[in-house]
Amino acid sequence: MKLGSLRYLLKEGVKNTWTNRLMTIASVGVLVACMVIIGLAVMISENVNMAMGNLEKQNVVMAYMKDYSWALYGDNTPETTNKKEKPDKNGIRKSDYVIHSEAEALALCKEIEKIPNVASVTFISSAEGLETATQAMDESQKKYFSFLKEENGNPLSCAAKVAMTDMSLFDQTVKEIEKLNGIDTIQSNGDLAEKLAAIENGIAVAGIWIIAILMIISLVIVSNTIRVTMYTRKLEISIMKAVGATDTFIRLPFVVEGMVIGIISALIAEGLLYCCYRIATETIIKTFGNVIAFGEMAWLLVLMFLGIGILSGVIGSLIMISKYLRKEGSEFAAI
Amino acid sequence: MGHLKEGFEIREEKPIIEFRGVSKTYNTGTHALEDVNIKINSGEFVFVVGSSGAGKSTFMKLIMREEKANTGKIVVNGFNLTKMKRKAVPLLRRTMGIVFQDFRLIPNMNVFENVAFAMHVVGADGRNIRREVTKALSLVGLGHKARSMPNQLSGGEQQRVGLARALVNSPDLIIADEPTGNVDPTMSYEIVSLLTEINKRGTTVLMVTHDHNLVRDFQHRVIMLDGGKIVADNAGGDL
Repeated sequence: MKLGSLRYLLKEGVKNTWTNRLMTIASVGVLVACMVIIGLAVMISENVNMAMGNLEKQNVVMAYMKDYSWALYGDNTPETTNKKEKPDKNGIRKSDYVIHSEAEALALCKEIEKIPNVASVTFISSAEGLETATQAMDESQKKYFSFLKEENGNPLSCAAKVAMTDMSLFDQTVKEIEKLNGIDTIQSNGDLAEKLAAIENGIAVAGIWIIAILMIISLVIVSNTIRVTMYTRKLEISIMKAVGATDTFIRLPFVVEGMVIGIISALIAEGLLYCCYRIATETIIKTFGNVIAFGEMAWLLVLMFLGIGILSGVIGSLIMISKYLRKEGSEFAAI
Repeated sequence: MGHLKEGFEIREEKPIIEFRGVSKTYNTGTHALEDVNIKINSGEFVFVVGSSGAGKSTFMKLIMREEKANTGKIVVNGFNLTKMKRKAVPLLRRTMGIVFQDFRLIPNMNVFENVAFAMHVVGADGRNIRREVTKALSLVGLGHKARSMPNQLSGGEQQRVGLARALVNSPDLIIADEPTGNVDPTMSYEIVSLLTEINKRGTTVLMVTHDHNLVRDFQHRVIMLDGGKIVADNAGGDL
């Protein structure tokens, strides 16, 4: 197609949007509504994900190590030694393995970090553990348990505080940590992790459905507008066919019209969503605390809206005009 | 436009339209045309006459490739329409100009734009469009009405705009489907005179009409259809 023709067709498409302004306004209205709902669904989903992420961060696993603290309360033989267990190359069984120093404990933390799905590992020494425990006590309790601060008085084991990336792999990751030599017990909240993973999954699925349904609605709306436009331009189409216009030439202004509707809708939807989100978050922040700032999502949303608008415009008009050209539009002599 | 050079009296005997054993039956079971054989040479002016339901419209639709024949072979402007793919139809139509009974002018475009529209469709550039549209409008005597809107014109003037639009791409063949059907008798004579003038410049003209006076007065070849068959094919306007 020649550049001159392309320029002419683009101009025609934009002109048609204005000529059929009532239909354009109707379609833009419905498309904007769909896009704002999609945008809100995305923003809600992102905010819930952020909240879940925060919850997940709190839902850490504490992996307690078999350090020498047991020696304070027993003889030199660990009570947990399993005689049936096969010793490793150093003649030590997993069940009687102990962490002798902080360096060994840190090395074990490094081992934990290597496990897939482990986001971070923080070493908690037995002193830090005791400090945290005493902080939770009242003055009389602190006084009563003051002997714990004496030399060799601390009964707490050192531990690794493990955060995970994907909570749906929680059980599997805990099992991997348990397998490591030097790990004594693991304290975790598997149920909560499972629930969090299920909520996240549910929100993602609902989001996809909302977007898919509204995409179909957008497509139907744009198709209908183009269809009405096409019938009002029946005469022009018949003349185009009579003088030898190709189907592409006939289609292009309609596709441009669909795209223009999509672009206008996307820009209005972005502005409207910004206002809605701002009003909503002002109340939410007061109640729940932090939310995702609109600015963080603005580009993604505008690109998504433009994508939805342009795609529904192009597909909708192509479907309609092709259908028309195959049937009624082929009979130009008897319109 | 213009297979003939000025001063030449002998016309080319090359068929621009050829029907060989053409039959057309619609899905409804109507037999519109039956075993039609005809040749129309380049540079001819032909009237197609016949009563309603005689097959005139189907005959024209087959030439414009709006319909496909069930049997037989049709060649128009060198295109074999029997084997023609849908994609190639626009190329065939660019070799012909079509004049409609109801003018088919776009109401929100002025006279100039209505004629120019036909050139935009085939991808002509702006300068060429201005030159050719001006030429076509002067040929039909409407150069001074280029900026008028269709509703400001009489029926005859509107049909002349339609004629200018059909001519502007310099087609080899003009197909006029009852171009005088919606205009008064005086204007009918003017339009056919204009078509005769265009024909004299070398363009083949095929005109469907019900007006026997025009056929008699203009003395061109007449093809008469009845019941889907050619019942008469006479040169010189005799029916």
